[in-house]
Amino acid sequence: MIVLVGGILMIVQYFIPHQYSQNIFNYYTEWAPIVGAFALILGVGSLTRVHSHKIRRKAKNWQFSWAVLIPLYGMPFFALIWPQSLWGGMEEPGIFDFVFMHIQVPIQATMFSLLAFYIASAAFRAFRAKSALATVLLLAAVIVMLGQVPIGEMLGRWLPETGLWILRYPNLAAKRAIMLGVGFGILATNLKIIFGVERNWLGGAGK
Amino acid sequence: MLNIDRRWIFLAIGVVSIVPFLIGIGMPVSTTVEVENIFDYVNELGKDDAIFISFDYAPGTQAENTPMAIAVMRHALHNDVSVFLTANQPLGHGMAIGALHYVTDPAIPDFYESVSFEDWSALRDAGIVDKDELVSAWESEGNVLPEGCSGWIFEGRDYALLGYAPVFNLVILGMTNSIEAQYPQDAHGNSTGEMPMLRDHKSLREVDLALSCSGSGACVWWITYAREKIGMPVAFGVTAVMATDYYPYIQSGQIIGQMGGLRGAAEYEVLLYENGVTVTTGKAFTGMDVQSAAHLLIIFLIIMGNIAFFAGGFHKKTALKGRG
Repeated sequence: MIVLVGGILMIVQYFIPHQYSQNIFNYYTEWAPIVGAFALILGVGSLTRVHSHKIRRKAKNWQFSWAVLIPLYGMPFFALIWPQSLWGGMEEPGIFDFVFMHIQVPIQATMFSLLAFYIASAAFRAFRAKSALATVLLLAAVIVMLGQVPIGEMLGRWLPETGLWILRYPNLAAKRAIMLGVGFGILATNLKIIFGVERNWLGGAGK
Repeated sequence: MLNIDRRWIFLAIGVVSIVPFLIGIGMPVSTTVEVENIFDYVNELGKDDAIFISFDYAPGTQAENTPMAIAVMRHALHNDVSVFLTANQPLGHGMAIGALHYVTDPAIPDFYESVSFEDWSALRDAGIVDKDELVSAWESEGNVLPEGCSGWIFEGRDYALLGYAPVFNLVILGMTNSIEAQYPQDAHGNSTGEMPMLRDHKSLREVDLALSCSGSGACVWWITYAREKIGMPVAFGVTAVMATDYYPYIQSGQIIGQMGGLRGAAEYEVLLYENGVTVTTGKAFTGMDVQSAAHLLIIFLIIMGNIAFFAGGFHKKTALKGRG
């Protein structure tokens, strides 16, 4: 009922420019982030429960659960309760900033950087011109890849121009068709949720 | 040949990624209309205008997204345009802080000297908020611009680190009415209501551009909730992989332009350098040499893999297998 009333209310509100409608909108936008923030409590609680069970039961790879829980509670501690620097003073960077910039950022950047190596390996092993369509795909990929880098322009002006043409016309047409399809799908799914046809999001309560 | 140990391929990628950085070739980068549109738009803005730069990415894509954000931030600060820095996730908040530190680092060319909100409170209380008057008054108090510095930037007048707020799509929606309602304080605890840039730009309706630097689909929120609701101009700075997805938005005019991947950031840096905004290009321009070498290697591997596949007769074996 809440979803039905709220969903219809917000749809109708969007098309009514009256001040009363705007007040409802303002009220909603102030409350919604507060309600959404409670999802953080749910997420942290769930993560803590799962990993503390693993540690207690000494399940497989239970040691890695400590690697999850220690930063999960350590980082807020250093951010809120003890925001001092490594040298004990309040001058920057604090321990939180240090851990973020020198541990978390390099770790995440490294994880993404590994993709380059695996893509190169995949390029050698898997990118095959086994059919006419696959050949066209490979040719387009080579032209776009060369067109995106300065060396492609040095090889010939036609390379970046052809690459841009591929992106601005055939690629655009295909992407637009996909986006339209996805958009209609989202519309249909949301209407089903609002009108109660789709109730999987309720979990067990919907049965 | 098809059974080559993949560690040789990994080594080759490592070598072509490191050597161009050390040699520093500096191949020329030509600009595209998608990036030029963003540059021309920001270039027309002045000290009465403001932009949002939203750090909607995590450290994983910082190599592509951070140079874009820094380039546009430098451009805006050069033109005395007020810059709001936001993030759609906590990690993006950290990226925003890192970018601000980079732009104000004296060890990096084209740096700015930052004045904290508290430090210039006396001038603010005296009603001095115009940029030119502010700089004159600040320097008349004995403050000297460091050598090589591009200029002063005052927190609350030139930039505001608003940072992360939860459920960011709703935050954008709320900012269409009031930025202060969504961010009563900035990330440093300063009251946004007292900031001159918030008094001049109370909501997104009074902001001239939102640049979303994104490594995910979050950039589309700015179109859905800002561009379509109030007609706010939006530009994208996205990874190269994602850039192909958003050409429909460029063609329909829903975004004024797009920087795609490291190439997009390099193009913006070249435009800044050629127009005298910066004295040097940045990390993205340097990275294009590496990208050139890496792309050439991958194309070489694709060609060699196909030659080995067809020369070894594997395509015939696959066809026979299909007939059972």
